[in-house]
Amino acid sequence: MASELAFRDVSRSFGAVKALDGVTFSVAEGEIHALIGENGAGKSTLLKILAGIVQPERGQLFWRGEPLVCSSPRQALERGIGMVYQEMLAFPNLTVAGNIFAGREITKTGGRLDERAMHARTKALLDELHIPVSPDTPMEQLPAALSQLVQVARALAFDCKVLVLDEPTTSLTDVEVDHLFREVRALKARGMTVLFVSHRIPEVFRLCDRITVMRDGKYAGTFDRETTTPDTVVRAMVGRTPPPRLTPAGSAHVQAPVRLEVRGLGKRGRFSDVSLAVRKGEVVALFGLVGSGRSDVLEAIFGTRPADTGTVEVDGAAVRLNSARAAAQAGLSLVPEDRQRQGLCFALSQRDNIAIPRAEKIGAARVNRLEETSVCDAQRQGLNIKTPSLDSTPDTLSGGNQQKVVAAKWLATSPKVLLLDEPTKGVDVGAKFEIHGIIRREVDAGMACLMVSSDLPEVLALADRILVMREGRLQGELAGATATDDAVMRLATHEATA
Amino acid sequence: MKPIWRAREFSTILILALEVLFFTWYLWPAGGGAHPFLNLDNFLLVLKYSSIYGIAAVGAAIVIIAGLIDLAPGAIIGLTSVVTGYFFVEAGWSLPAAMIAGLLVGVLAGGVSAFLVVKIGLPPFIATLGVMGIWRGVGFIVTEARFYDLSSKLPQDWHVAGVSVDWAGPIIMVALALGFHWLMRTFQWGRAVFAVGGNETAALFSGIRVGRVKTLVYIIAGLLASVSGVVLAVVQGQGKADLATGYELDIIASAVVGGASLTGGRGSVLGAVLGALIFGVLRNALPQIPGATFYDRMIVGVVVIVIVVMDQMLVKRSRA
Repeated sequence: MASELAFRDVSRSFGAVKALDGVTFSVAEGEIHALIGENGAGKSTLLKILAGIVQPERGQLFWRGEPLVCSSPRQALERGIGMVYQEMLAFPNLTVAGNIFAGREITKTGGRLDERAMHARTKALLDELHIPVSPDTPMEQLPAALSQLVQVARALAFDCKVLVLDEPTTSLTDVEVDHLFREVRALKARGMTVLFVSHRIPEVFRLCDRITVMRDGKYAGTFDRETTTPDTVVRAMVGRTPPPRLTPAGSAHVQAPVRLEVRGLGKRGRFSDVSLAVRKGEVVALFGLVGSGRSDVLEAIFGTRPADTGTVEVDGAAVRLNSARAAAQAGLSLVPEDRQRQGLCFALSQRDNIAIPRAEKIGAARVNRLEETSVCDAQRQGLNIKTPSLDSTPDTLSGGNQQKVVAAKWLATSPKVLLLDEPTKGVDVGAKFEIHGIIRREVDAGMACLMVSSDLPEVLALADRILVMREGRLQGELAGATATDDAVMRLATHEATA
Repeated sequence: MKPIWRAREFSTILILALEVLFFTWYLWPAGGGAHPFLNLDNFLLVLKYSSIYGIAAVGAAIVIIAGLIDLAPGAIIGLTSVVTGYFFVEAGWSLPAAMIAGLLVGVLAGGVSAFLVVKIGLPPFIATLGVMGIWRGVGFIVTEARFYDLSSKLPQDWHVAGVSVDWAGPIIMVALALGFHWLMRTFQWGRAVFAVGGNETAALFSGIRVGRVKTLVYIIAGLLASVSGVVLAVVQGQGKADLATGYELDIIASAVVGGASLTGGRGSVLGAVLGALIFGVLRNALPQIPGATFYDRMIVGVVVIVIVVMDQMLVKRSRA
């Protein structure tokens, strides 16, 4: 196979951090090539260089044997490199057609927009990718999967030769992922070269021909899908053998006192009649597909999106339903799903982020810097937060460490019940194992934990009991020790109460 | 502790010092006579003038840090002067009682803004734009275009404890700036203001009473605008509905030049006062430059942009 795109000895530092260190590998023409690595492995920097946003300090890119220099995203696009970014760079206020042609509109003489031509071209592209929407649909009305595919259409509109997909499945459901993968395979069949960036190993094995692994800014090897195994790839990613998964203690907690008791919780249009109990020392997973109401239940318990009916008790004492503050004071903690939007204040230092909920909980009027420093440092050590200084803002940290700061915020309040919403979303494998370890440790120390996760292996690895939700109702309960993927998915998708 | 030159306010102080040095040099009298800019009387004039903006800018900085905006302070200053004037001159109240009535205007006005933003859910810009018109209008309705002459009932060349009342504004401004700086740094409430401005959702999830924080922020901003209004009424001896027209933008500009970020979560009350002084010096010195009369408004506009750009560059470099 001819080499379509090659990186040779590419290096780049940011301040003292070496983001890329002599990376060399090539992508063959017409293949789907995976680029995987933990957060902070250098994938994003490599993509930024490819897109012309960042320039390499050393080394070169080659395009069909010719040196390739992109000094701006526009130039990269003109060279035939189509990027679909992880954070979807869509204009929610424009139509689908407007999004596809943003910045490179088709014009008639005099610079007037040729709406008809753009509409027709968009229609053709949408049909080609089997996106069932009209070119005139406002982008904000599209579900995540379709807007992801519209980004692909945008890349195709500029006749790209290489399609780069940066973590495209992060916010997609399984069905949506299937659709995306079908289209990517169809593009491959037409001769398109695809660079697929991800850290989900099963996905990569499903889709890609070859897999290049990066670790700590360095190239860690390229593997052929046919001849390698997921374990080999994971070892290359983390540079060590992954620690054994945590086996739940099973039914050891039957006699432990109930810490969280929820009775008849309901919210019109969202979920109804949810009753559950979590005992001391127990991890209960609330599993369900997107839209099944599981996050709503969690936020209702915490009071940020109050329920209409039902009661919540912590250690036998009723908790007010409509106040996050009351919930926090009763000993509940919610580690929210979206750390960018709900978890962190990026204008404040990590220290202040960690200290605020605790200060609110104990009702501190004055800020006690000395005490907070010791509390924060203890959390930093306990959670192994890798940060140059807690006085810097959280945006300097990797996703896994940001998530640990969010966890530290809540552990610092010494909660009785920990509510976790997707605790390891967007977190790399190494940090994921670490976070699992932390959850187990805290729960073993006497906490109770109710966790929402759409990561089934995570649920199976961590939960003592699994409650499955579908269409706003609890469908049944499975013991963590004996549950299988199959059994859980059956409950979550179609089977009536087990 | 961070070294002093890394402090948020340091660059603002530097700009102020450079500005003073520039005008000292530029306006140096050729014949060796009295310096038109660098003298104690002029210094007091600058402070007196700036303090009206500066006091309200402390409130504006807090509002902006909380991620909000307040367009009402100019109108509140005007209405406060009217209310203080009315009770002191027309109703014959004692001066302290009339002043308290004036301050209540600000508390009430801030409460109304807070109600519209927090309870009704209006965007802060729209809510305070409307409120600005209402308070300005109330001032005109009360005065019917007359004005209350406080100065005739106040002692001439009035001194309190040996200090000329002219110093009242500057002293109050500095005291409030230091007081609120301390409050914002030392108390959980101050940090909650930063948190709400930085990420409202995360603040809510952190157990912070976001609505209460915002309400208090508007009430404080209203109260501080009223303090400006009372000072203006007493020192200038007037209660007039159109006083401080257009001040809201200068007040916001002072806070922004002092480091407040309109996206919320960043800023400094000390910086806001320094920002007000930067404008005070400009407005005082520019007219003294021969031929600059028609340029001063434009120069003030340019300076806002230049300072904010410089500040952004400084912030970027200190992060790198």
